[in-house]
Amino acid sequence: MILTRDEVRRLADLARLDLSEEELAMVEQDLDKILGYVARLKKVETEGVEPFTMPARTEWRPDVELPCDHAAREIILSNFPERVGDLLKTPGVFDKPKGSKA
Amino acid sequence: MKLNELTITEARKRLDAGDITSVDLTKACLDEIKNLNPQLNAFIEIYEADALEQAKRSDERHAKSECYGALDGIPLGLKDNLLHQGKETTSGSKILQGHISAYDSTVVRKLKEQGAVILGRTNMDEFAMGSSTEHSCYGPTKNPRDLERVPGGSSGGSAAAVAAEMCLGALGSDTGGSIRQPAALCGTIGLKPTYGRVSRFGLMAMASSLDQIGPFARTVEDAAIMLEALQGADPLDQTTADVEPFVPKWKKDLSGVRIGLPRQAWGAGMHAGVRRAVEQGIDVLKSRGAEIKEVELPYAEESLAAYYVIMPCEVSANLERFDGMRFGQRVKGEPLFETYAKTRALNFGPEARRRILLGTYALSRGYYEAYYLQAKRVQTLIRRAYADAFEDVDILVTPTAPNPAFRLGEKTTDPLTMYLEDVFTVGVNVAGLPAVSVPCGLADGLPVGMQLIGRHFDEAGILAAAKVYSDSR
Repeated sequence: MILTRDEVRRLADLARLDLSEEELAMVEQDLDKILGYVARLKKVETEGVEPFTMPARTEWRPDVELPCDHAAREIILSNFPERVGDLLKTPGVFDKPKGSKA
Repeated sequence: MKLNELTITEARKRLDAGDITSVDLTKACLDEIKNLNPQLNAFIEIYEADALEQAKRSDERHAKSECYGALDGIPLGLKDNLLHQGKETTSGSKILQGHISAYDSTVVRKLKEQGAVILGRTNMDEFAMGSSTEHSCYGPTKNPRDLERVPGGSSGGSAAAVAAEMCLGALGSDTGGSIRQPAALCGTIGLKPTYGRVSRFGLMAMASSLDQIGPFARTVEDAAIMLEALQGADPLDQTTADVEPFVPKWKKDLSGVRIGLPRQAWGAGMHAGVRRAVEQGIDVLKSRGAEIKEVELPYAEESLAAYYVIMPCEVSANLERFDGMRFGQRVKGEPLFETYAKTRALNFGPEARRRILLGTYALSRGYYEAYYLQAKRVQTLIRRAYADAFEDVDILVTPTAPNPAFRLGEKTTDPLTMYLEDVFTVGVNVAGLPAVSVPCGLADGLPVGMQLIGRHFDEAGILAAAKVYSDSR
């Protein structure tokens, strides 16, 4: 195995995926196969080769206030999973962590 | 002949001549969707009232001789990852159930400006990840040629809809073959334009450096009409290129055209019937005057490996936004971390989760250099290899996919066997080139696609050759 179960668990944490032990075991197997396949990249001689970067136009848009499209605004608000009036409601960022004492 | 069976080119002529109306054309498509969609599941939502309204307006424009463009009054399908203001758009994912597009993608804006009729949204693998349209929260799409087989993917809904004559054309997106492979498996034309030819603004991002929007159509000419409508630099997508616009340059024959066969890229593991069909296709190209030569194209297998590092890295970053906060589904948990982790685990399918984790790994400290940076260096070498091949030839030809349509469920248990379906198509995305898949006969009674790859922004060259080929059959 290229990855240990603990490493897979750590990746799931980093990726914010709450996976069961059974799902972690499946991922472990799948990633093993895929990483085994992509390992052939390591054999390619790339000494002195620059990593490719996509050329893009570099001008930036002016940082100005733009009029708000009313229809777009209403749809954006309607897409909120929870709202209070026109405000987005989210769980608190600084709530006490799980298992901590009050 | 039923109106829904018309090509865009024929429909345009008959609409312009006043022989048919867009309303009749649209009704014929809607009828065919009602007939076939319960079995095929190509469309996941149909905009019947809107489509008929758009068709009616197109007919009114015609009556006043105010035709907007080549696609005015033409009924089309739209992949479920292209934003369309006021319509639900979900990328085939549970996590976006109920999500309404707040604005139009540039391609949808262009279709509207052209007066096209949008019939509905088509099924796809979740966030365009898959080669079979089995990874959709709406259930799989079936191949119109054989209902027990997959249509390919990820744009399988669009491919099946065009092949089954439910619409005259459809839009898809192609990150590693998601237009060309389903086109091949369903027996339609599928075109992936050069990276930068068509704006990605409003396309739900999978791997931004590889994604490109393109058309499905029943003829090469129709694909060209659609590309003309979709193309162009866009201030809202900084990767769109300021280049000469694509204009079709049709040819009578292929004299003077040099076609390269990267045989080493064909490799083992290819279906014998696919090989036979494509070799017969190459004979036709030769008989129409093309000069055929073998060319070196190293890094064929490394292309797939580089793709399966670069793509998941971008996927893991692009899909971070789906955290249950601002849009989409939210599964509440305590504390905040649990809300993120539950929302994502319960609403992303297994393939999306796999690729997110793979990307997270390849970008994590200690592995970034060995995986991501090495893949980007290999990408430089792959692009050089294509550039070298195009010194000697104008077009490269390969099969589009190594196998004809496979059975539903055949490749879902082992992700790697599914990934190997992309072996002929991913290199084109890694190099940013244009490529078209054209139907070239059958293998075991199922459609086979031949892929024509061109130089950057030479869509005119590959489409001209594809048309000479299609017209000779």
